[in-house]
Amino acid sequence: MGIASEIGGTLWDERYALDGNAIAGLLEEVFEADMTTARRVCRSCGTTSAIGAHRAYRGAGVVLRCPACRDLAVLIAPLPDRSRVWLVGEWTIETPPR
Amino acid sequence: MGGLTRLGEPATPDGTTARLGAPPARMPLRWHTARVRELRQETAHAKTIVLDDPQWPGHAAGQHADVRLTAEDGYQAERSYSIASAPEEPLALTIERIDDGEVSPYLTEELREGDELELRGPIGGHFTWRTSDGGPLLLLAGGSGLVPLIAMLRHRVAQGDETEARLLVSSRGIEDLLYAQELIALGKRPEVTVQITLTRTQPPGWDGPARRVDAEMLTQLGPAPGARPLVFVCGPTTFVEHTADALVALGHAPERIHAERFGPSGS
Amino acid sequence: MAPISRGFHGRRRSDVDPARVPPGQYVVHDFPVLSAGPTPHTPLEQWGLQIGGEVTAPASWTWEEFQALPAETFTVDIHCVTKWSKFDTSWTGVSLDTLLAGVETEADYLTVWCDGGYTTNLALEDVTDGKAWIVYAFDGQPLEPEHGGPARLLVPHLYFWKSAKWVRGLTLTREDRPGFWEAAGYHNHGDPWKEQRYWGD
Repeated sequence: MGIASEIGGTLWDERYALDGNAIAGLLEEVFEADMTTARRVCRSCGTTSAIGAHRAYRGAGVVLRCPACRDLAVLIAPLPDRSRVWLVGEWTIETPPR
Repeated sequence: MGGLTRLGEPATPDGTTARLGAPPARMPLRWHTARVRELRQETAHAKTIVLDDPQWPGHAAGQHADVRLTAEDGYQAERSYSIASAPEEPLALTIERIDDGEVSPYLTEELREGDELELRGPIGGHFTWRTSDGGPLLLLAGGSGLVPLIAMLRHRVAQGDETEARLLVSSRGIEDLLYAQELIALGKRPEVTVQITLTRTQPPGWDGPARRVDAEMLTQLGPAPGARPLVFVCGPTTFVEHTADALVALGHAPERIHAERFGPSGS
Repeated sequence: MAPISRGFHGRRRSDVDPARVPPGQYVVHDFPVLSAGPTPHTPLEQWGLQIGGEVTAPASWTWEEFQALPAETFTVDIHCVTKWSKFDTSWTGVSLDTLLAGVETEADYLTVWCDGGYTTNLALEDVTDGKAWIVYAFDGQPLEPEHGGPARLLVPHLYFWKSAKWVRGLTLTREDRPGFWEAAGYHNHGDPWKEQRYWGD
């Protein structure tokens, strides 16, 4: 419920999660396009979610995870002179519905 | 993308040039300098910064802009802020002061009219609404999460659009409520409903809700899930998680719910 | 040229000994919370610590067994790759020298693994001889989940992403295997005094 969800006997607190909207600028630096409306199909749970709706976390770099199962989607290392993005796993993305 | 191109640039009542919708061709994001035209005190802790930015390519309601500050020794800090103005209005950001924040105390207390800021944007297309997206609209704000939602309502007014809209604002107290006069005026429109809940302190005689957003409040506000409203939820992460869960439990379609999280304290 | 914001200093402290600040870092008062995923709240009765991999016999401890090991309380400065440093942080925990004392191995490296799937890699020589601990208290209080509780690794001489939160095990290896951030572009070693932030630094 709410801020914490129980998976496998452990409570997971999402208080520090942001969403893909929060790092839209960083993504746009890399892709030179707005990526938040692109929809990614999670290879782990099969859910299709907009990148803007993915969970975002700030650690050493930035992490995006599937909003349904929290499987890893993107790691971003903002380097001093550029940003390096690692798209985790095989990617399927689609346009928003027309 | 739903990029909307309009020809011509109609003038706004104050004589400035307005740009509507997305620019014809997407410009690469780049930092540039804008000048503070006007500062407006919204509450004791929040200010609206109106900017003169000849290079601004226009935006959609709900988008944000990145602001970058540079100290004398070269140290830089950047933050992302929601745009409060409708696409039809001069660019304005509303900033709420975070007490232990790094950038917001400067923007709300030190910044003066005529100062320059570095800016880039507009950013993000997921949490946006244009009149062509239709409705009915269900807008749910936690604290300063109201900022991108007021931009949507302002856009709607500027376009003379009559999409049904319901707004619920969860605020700690009446003194923290942004745009109070404007919300009262909006609430008088027949197709707009404005509901405020005051979670921490209530003024004498307050007869509105005085608790966190819950299923009962959402049901009273409507519209029913069967009307398939387009929902925008914005606020601190705790507010968004809690509200989005309540919406889904009531039967609202997850694909119609758009959320934007500010983080634990909205910093 | 970026315009200078008069009167903007950021959240940095100015009352610090510059010799204690690694290059490119600034010192903060608060304790920022960074993580690569949601914060687990692991019940202590489910918690365990394991040492495995290239060892003759794996070792493991329950929470109670771990708490019974000799602990040290110490004060160190910590340095995050996102450029904040925090001085004089006080921790209580068990030295890796204690945990590895009974472990026979020919490994030169280890991978630290955690609740939530986070990993980081270290050379054995960076975590032995009093250089690393698994800590469970901060400032004399049980370590908050947001800061890595119930227990986290602490390797203060390296950037703080090496001090993995929510640690559950160490896997000793002969080869060095990049961890979560190391595989994505962060430096394999991460010495803040050499400013080893990213590959190639």
